[in-house]
Amino acid sequence: MTRAQSRTDIGAVDVLPLVRLAGVTKRFGQVLANDGISLSIMPGRIKALLGENGAGKSTLMAMLAGRFQPDDGHIEVAGERVRFASPREAIAAGIGMVYQHFMLVENMTVAENVLLGQEGGFVLHPAAMRRKVGELAERFGLGIDPGARVGGLSMGERQRVEILKLLYRESQVLIFDEPTAVLTPVEAESLFTALRTMSAQGKAIVFISHKLEEVLSLADEIAILRRGRIEGEFLASEIESPSELARRMVGRDVVLDIKREAVVHGRQVLDVRHLSGPGLDDVSFDLKRGEILAIVGVAGNGQQQLVEVVCGLSRPDSGEVDILGQSWAKFFQSRDWKGALAWIPEDRAGLATCRTLNLTDNLLLTTRQGFAQGQWLERARARETAKGIVREHNVQPGNIEAQAWQLSGGNLQKFVLGRELYREPRLMVAEQPTQGLDVSATEAVWQRLLEARKTAGVLLVTGDLTEALTLADRVVVMFRGRVMGLFPVTDTAQVERIGSLMAGLKE
Amino acid sequence: MSPELIIALLAAAVQGAAPILFATLGEMLSEKAGVLNLGVEGVMALSAFAAFIVCHLTGSAVLGLFAGGFAGALLCGLHALVCQVFLGNQVVSGLALTIFGVGLSDFLGTPYVGVGTEGFRQFAVPLLSHLPMLGPVLFRQDAMVYLVYCAPVAVWFLLNRTSLGLGLRATGEMPAAAAAAGLNPQRLRAFGVMAGGFLCGLGGAYLSLAHTHLWSTGLSGGRGWVAVALVIFAFWRPGRAVIGALLFGGVMAFQLRLQAEGTNVPSSLLLMLPYALTVIVLVFSAARAKYLKTGHSAAPAALGVNIEPEG
Repeated sequence: MTRAQSRTDIGAVDVLPLVRLAGVTKRFGQVLANDGISLSIMPGRIKALLGENGAGKSTLMAMLAGRFQPDDGHIEVAGERVRFASPREAIAAGIGMVYQHFMLVENMTVAENVLLGQEGGFVLHPAAMRRKVGELAERFGLGIDPGARVGGLSMGERQRVEILKLLYRESQVLIFDEPTAVLTPVEAESLFTALRTMSAQGKAIVFISHKLEEVLSLADEIAILRRGRIEGEFLASEIESPSELARRMVGRDVVLDIKREAVVHGRQVLDVRHLSGPGLDDVSFDLKRGEILAIVGVAGNGQQQLVEVVCGLSRPDSGEVDILGQSWAKFFQSRDWKGALAWIPEDRAGLATCRTLNLTDNLLLTTRQGFAQGQWLERARARETAKGIVREHNVQPGNIEAQAWQLSGGNLQKFVLGRELYREPRLMVAEQPTQGLDVSATEAVWQRLLEARKTAGVLLVTGDLTEALTLADRVVVMFRGRVMGLFPVTDTAQVERIGSLMAGLKE
Repeated sequence: MSPELIIALLAAAVQGAAPILFATLGEMLSEKAGVLNLGVEGVMALSAFAAFIVCHLTGSAVLGLFAGGFAGALLCGLHALVCQVFLGNQVVSGLALTIFGVGLSDFLGTPYVGVGTEGFRQFAVPLLSHLPMLGPVLFRQDAMVYLVYCAPVAVWFLLNRTSLGLGLRATGEMPAAAAAAGLNPQRLRAFGVMAGGFLCGLGGAYLSLAHTHLWSTGLSGGRGWVAVALVIFAFWRPGRAVIGALLFGGVMAFQLRLQAEGTNVPSSLLLMLPYALTVIVLVFSAARAKYLKTGHSAAPAALGVNIEPEG
């Protein structure tokens, strides 16, 4: 922390921010992705932008990078208002992005990638190009062979190429979108060293992350983004505990007033005992009919692996998983399409539906056995059913010939939910069911999940504490694949500690 | 076989290779930019006619050559328009271009069948033509053959030693990366397709101006398809295209010679020879690519994939 403290005064003296956001707002349809965001990005500082998936981080960065224009508010570069019409203009203004998915040409060398578009002359001199890039890499402590083909490089090395591209263009502000997501721990450590070197040379670094530890170890300043708003901004040296950060990141203010009738709990539908495997460490819990069990935690702490096991995508390594009273192997061997398991994946446009199929075909994706007559499909009946779902769940536009991609996220989610409920599941797995949805769609989804309790047990995986505490009977907190706590939401003492548990603190 | 015969055969092989090499390099340029152009056959046919008619009307072979080149560039510009502006399927558009080009050149050329042109005549290059073996094979040719000697070097230089070529290759591999670097992938692709079309057009012009010296239907005779296959055989490298083109030119010359000698082998079987070789060559290059296991394909990664507008 001494490093951060010795430099906290930089912001206090008369240094102009390189980039300033003033009340920047961005809407997508009804969804408010960014709501009046004001931030200052200072030279020589590392700013972390912390937030869950769907908090609006990527939208904010896309506006800085010139891919979107703000609906309201403005961006200032070195004190002057700017409006980026394209990424090119943002680059020219000294703002550079390193995306999660690298923009590199695999069949070209490191030097060619770095100098692409900046060759400085019509005729190329490969040796001089390699030398230039080599020197630049050395200056910022980014070890790399400029003559190597990018296709043969590791993810960490590719990221260095992306950084070199920005440095070569003399970007003053370098924005990293979840830079460690694709890196090994060792590579992440060397990235951090490089970021500190760049920051010491006066570059402003912004990095987006939802990993508390790396934010605390790297950042000078931390801004928390939640539901499109800045929830707080601190100097890293002011942070007392990671749990405070975690609690602020996921929040817990109730935004909707949902009536939650009590439902009598029935038989056990899911029983997980000592489940371990990749990303999972001795996980145990059970779920009964009439109950909603919320799995909460910062994304990437084993939730996805857990869902994959429960939904039959991956085999449990060790430990036991019983579904509807049957062992995992037996259940998935002879699974009924109806009256058993339904899953609402997080990726509703990719995993749950096919973009270019219409709603009837998307209905058939998981329910076709119900419409099969020998080798034939009863399409007329499927169309009627799809119409029924569209009507009952108020899916807009109310046209079953519409293709999945034509629906907004909220409407697509309502359709997916309707389809899965049509299967009359006794165990329902809902993954981030309201992520990115507007308020009315969120409310509709929540109501349906509560109704589903009458016939099913619901496993709700969510990064949104508000959602968990509104819907669930009991909560499981996960950290690094382990269950940190399992308690009813009425246990206020425990609920208060959720933030600490999510940060891995058990005290 | 006498030495004279061998030299004559080799010289004929070089002449046979010339139009194929022009077209192969043209297709390569287009594919390097990411656009598959299956219209080469039609482009060659129509530009052969354009070269012939301009040469016939003006009496200038050089004007005819440029007419062929520009006809090729224009026709490929149509392909670029369909694929890039209207996001049409590259395979379908290319096939349509072939049918269109072949058909139109036959239609327009019908009144001229059998009409001769002066075109390019062979001349000996001083000094070089006296080299043993190489002299008579390489340096007693026409001006377009001398031009084709420069083409692979020029294409290689453009692709590998100029910023334009770097942008072109980036566009063929990953248009998004090129756009992120501030380049205009659409414009680069259009350039690649049309410059490639110009080269294919030169290949067509060669057929009517230097190869036959008179107009007849079906001049392109499948050479455009051979060029498409040769790009794969060459692993998208100009140097290897030379080897491939010579191989085909050689087989074509050999086949013609055999026919002229009057062998017992049916002529239709002999005519088939170059195309049988095409199939064999494709199998061979696929096997080789598998053997080498370089971990990447030699084909440009975004070949055949249209650039979708963002949004």
